[in-house]
Amino acid sequence: MTFRRGQKVEVYQKSQDEMWQSYMDEFVGIHGIVTDPDTNINDPDALVEVSLNGKGTFRLPQDCIRLLEE
Amino acid sequence: MSDSSCPVNSTIVELDSTIQSGALKIPRSRRLAEEILDLLNDVAWGRAGDDHVSAIESLALEMAGNIADDTSRNVGKRITDAVNDNREVFESHVKTHNCKTGACVKLAPAPCQMTCPAGLDIPTYVTLIGLGRDAEAIDVIRQDCPFPWVCGLVCTRPCEYMCVRGRMDSPISIKFLKAFAAERAMSWRHYRNPEKADDKGQKVCIIGAGPAGMSAAYYLALKGYGVTIIESLPTAGGMIMVGIPRYRLPREVIDREVAMLEELGVQFRFDTAFGKDVTLDELKADGFSAFFFAIGAHKSFQLNIPGEHDFPQVLQSIDFLKHVALGNRHKPGNKVVVIGGGNVAIDAARTSLRLGSDEITMAYRRTRSEMPADIEEVEQAEEEGIQISFLTIPAEIMGENGRVTGLRCIRAKMVTQEGSNRMIPVPVEGSDFLIEADAIISAIGQQVNHDCLESLNDLKWTRRNTIEANTVSMETSVPGIFAAGDAVTGPATVIEAIGGGKRAALAIDRYLSGIPQPKLPSVPVRRGRIDWLEIPATTKMILKRPHMSVLNIDRRRTTFQQVELGYTENMVREEARRCLRCDICIRCGKCVEICRDKMGIEALKMGYINFDHPGPTDFRITAERCILCGACAANCPTHAMRMEDRNGERTLSLCGTILNRQKLHYCDSCGAVMGVERYLDYIRKKTVTVSKTTDNRLLCMACARKQSAHSGDELVMPPGRSH
Repeated sequence: MTFRRGQKVEVYQKSQDEMWQSYMDEFVGIHGIVTDPDTNINDPDALVEVSLNGKGTFRLPQDCIRLLEE
Repeated sequence: MSDSSCPVNSTIVELDSTIQSGALKIPRSRRLAEEILDLLNDVAWGRAGDDHVSAIESLALEMAGNIADDTSRNVGKRITDAVNDNREVFESHVKTHNCKTGACVKLAPAPCQMTCPAGLDIPTYVTLIGLGRDAEAIDVIRQDCPFPWVCGLVCTRPCEYMCVRGRMDSPISIKFLKAFAAERAMSWRHYRNPEKADDKGQKVCIIGAGPAGMSAAYYLALKGYGVTIIESLPTAGGMIMVGIPRYRLPREVIDREVAMLEELGVQFRFDTAFGKDVTLDELKADGFSAFFFAIGAHKSFQLNIPGEHDFPQVLQSIDFLKHVALGNRHKPGNKVVVIGGGNVAIDAARTSLRLGSDEITMAYRRTRSEMPADIEEVEQAEEEGIQISFLTIPAEIMGENGRVTGLRCIRAKMVTQEGSNRMIPVPVEGSDFLIEADAIISAIGQQVNHDCLESLNDLKWTRRNTIEANTVSMETSVPGIFAAGDAVTGPATVIEAIGGGKRAALAIDRYLSGIPQPKLPSVPVRRGRIDWLEIPATTKMILKRPHMSVLNIDRRRTTFQQVELGYTENMVREEARRCLRCDICIRCGKCVEICRDKMGIEALKMGYINFDHPGPTDFRITAERCILCGACAANCPTHAMRMEDRNGERTLSLCGTILNRQKLHYCDSCGAVMGVERYLDYIRKKTVTVSKTTDNRLLCMACARKQSAHSGDELVMPPGRSH
């Protein structure tokens, strides 16, 4: 599992995933905290719950977020 | 804070600048502009009523159309465009009293509230709990979440991860405060439903009595709809009833909160499977105008290893937990292996223990740090004697004579996957080993079982096998059918399901009222403006998050009694006082900058204001260094920093935290307030080179002038006043 609860992340690009919706475009560049990682089977394809600073909490595909620190 | 691209704020800034520049030459145009500015400020400060936005639009149209001046027309048009292009945001400011960008500083929501998927107004209810007003706190919570008691016990608490206090020491224990208040309100019979709207004469059908379905039912019932919930199980609760064991969430808690829904008139049809016992056409014929699918994710993933389907002692965790929850309390075996590392695996293991199994081993293919289960749950499981075998890949279920005898496993090592930084477990050749077992429970995740929805041909599904739905309005591809919860997100959290149910209820109301659906995610609503709790800086710093008492270990290993025993009343009240009230202080840092850069004092050490790189915080430092000049308070945009004179003292406080308190000095001649000793010293040092002192007397400016005039000396300014 790449993402763990409590890790700081950045939305660094738009996702190509079908779950990415147009209102999420404004999330690019926003920092946040992983609040619920992929609870399935450590699936790189699973959606990760991220709380974005000043935006709210969303389930995002993993290809648009990256770790800010370990 | 986040970006400041709030259209309300930008319109205010632009209009204010136009008025100040004198560009509006015609008096009527200036008057209209000033009226619009007043209305806009009402919107930005949370004072606006339902008619404000239309009034702004009407005045702007008047400016744009009826004044023979290009500048006025342009200004009017720009305001009209701003409202038209961003109507949802303008109206959201009025309805929610929150500006999610934080640009309208009075409406900047606290990070905890923004984080909560259901948008609970956490600062308000935490403060109410601190004041001992538990029932009012529950009233506030139930405006956004019908299940405060359930959430107080099992929420994954994303709010606590964003809690600003966590950047200082540890986050406020929001979850347990909520549990205490709910239990107290229920115990004292103060737990009540809000007022219900008049009957709308329309019926909504909800499929699934889990947290998403019941949340939608609650809000729809409050809006006056007739609501019926179809549930295939014999009881309400969905995953919180059959997926979460009773030692974490007692059944009575669910029953009592579900009873509140029944009190609102929500009807349940249990043991009724959609698609089998009842169809969509039949429900439409019964008069239901809209449908909400919250069927959850109750189907287990397969292990896909030999032996999986050969023995009755191989169980799926979801089925196992469900049967236990519904009363089939037989131990699965004496030596149980649970496969998986998530919360469901932990629940299955701890449940087996309580049912009497002797040895329980969890087989997890990665390491402890990768376990998706809550750290507290893992620790409690290990305390109870559950073994966790890390880096263990299940290879084959072994058995003889129709009974399981063990799980053949292969030791794993973590290696970096080619082309990514992702670590994956890889089998170590020749490392096979056997874990003896007479029962195997698979807990490697769940998915949506869409067999019951097969008749809905137009319903679209995602490639993740979840219902495709707009995450803002929860609309599916079929008009009049909405969906939320695990069926849309995949296996997720209770609070996400509750938030989804709430959004769906609002969307169903819009659908049935013929109102267009929102385009943007909803902004949480500020439910109150409770004044802060006053607390000395030292107390604020030294109060620590309380430790949760747990049931003794023997009882935990043998019964389903609740493990976490809850906080005492004193713990709760004290914990609430640790809250920094981020709904009032927006952490803009202006106070820190002014104190450090303009005054050269550096009396404010508030490292928590930086999200990415928080530094140390110590409120006690202020009392050592602060001169009580008031520059910080004067420049605080939200009046979170406040300087007050009372009882002969000058006090500086930040959201109720008393940072500094000093004795006031008064003019020796007329008694006017002069400030505190440190401030007077500061001014004396600044002015000593330009003027004489006033014979060591402490005089206000007026009295100093008088003395100067009488003595014929040059004017001597007293400390605290400028020329």
